[in-house]
Amino acid sequence: MLQLILWISDKTMSSTSKKHGAFVAEPMGEKRVTALPGIGKILGGRMEESGFDKANVVLGQFLVLKKDEELFDNWLKDTCGANAKQQRDCYGCLREWCDDFL
Amino acid sequence: MDSLSSKSLPEISNLLDEYGIKHGPVVETTRNLYVKKLREAMTKGKRAKPSSDKTFYREEEEEVTYVYRTPTRSDISGDGGAYMRSRPEWTEREYEHETSYSSYSKPRPEYRGSDLVDEPYMYDTPSTYKNSYSKITAMKSEQQVPKVQKSSRLVPLWLQLLFFLALAAFLYLVFSNMEINESIKGIM
Repeated sequence: MLQLILWISDKTMSSTSKKHGAFVAEPMGEKRVTALPGIGKILGGRMEESGFDKANVVLGQFLVLKKDEELFDNWLKDTCGANAKQQRDCYGCLREWCDDFL
Repeated sequence: MDSLSSKSLPEISNLLDEYGIKHGPVVETTRNLYVKKLREAMTKGKRAKPSSDKTFYREEEEEVTYVYRTPTRSDISGDGGAYMRSRPEWTEREYEHETSYSSYSKPRPEYRGSDLVDEPYMYDTPSTYKNSYSKITAMKSEQQVPKVQKSSRLVPLWLQLLFFLALAAFLYLVFSNMEINESIKGIM
């Protein structure tokens, strides 16, 4: 019963909130690109193929695109095929990280 | 339409300015994105002032722009008023970045060839517009973002409450229909 309640509460939280919270809590250092919310194993693999093997390289691209949401989302879609939610999660996380650390 | 993929990075940057597209540095990783944007702008037939002929012969251009320099200075200050008036119109449109930039992109091609002292002065008025515009859009996007985050639950709130009530009702039914033994009497 308790497990059922816990499962429900877990699912109702945004599924990337854990990843997001973990990422924006500290400097990203040399974290892999899969540490970014929205970027899982498959998308991460595609990004690594394109040369974006670390989260900080993606940050570089984010900054070069002047933190523009539309441009970054388009770039993400072109690079690894991220869908709208994944784009949103990744963009939102990087923007927040920049607000805190940059 | 000349082949965009064969253009050099500075050429793409200039084209973006001509179409009034707001952009960051054009480097290898951003090149394709901006080429796409240019293609979209070209097919939509947006206002563009092609000055490719001017960028080729830079030495000649310096002589030419010398004549134009004095009018453009007064143009910028005079046009400042015009930009203010046209601003309310632009905010209603979808591409507010791009159209606002296109409204003052006209004087820029004329001095592009001269990388001399004039540049810092010329960039003064556009940059202040850029700042105030980015603030407005940043505020707008900030307002939108909290709204989006609130509705990003996987399972809607009302559904959760409904489920909880159904579960409570079910448990009550089960409990009330149980046969009472000696051991349970203490609870009831």
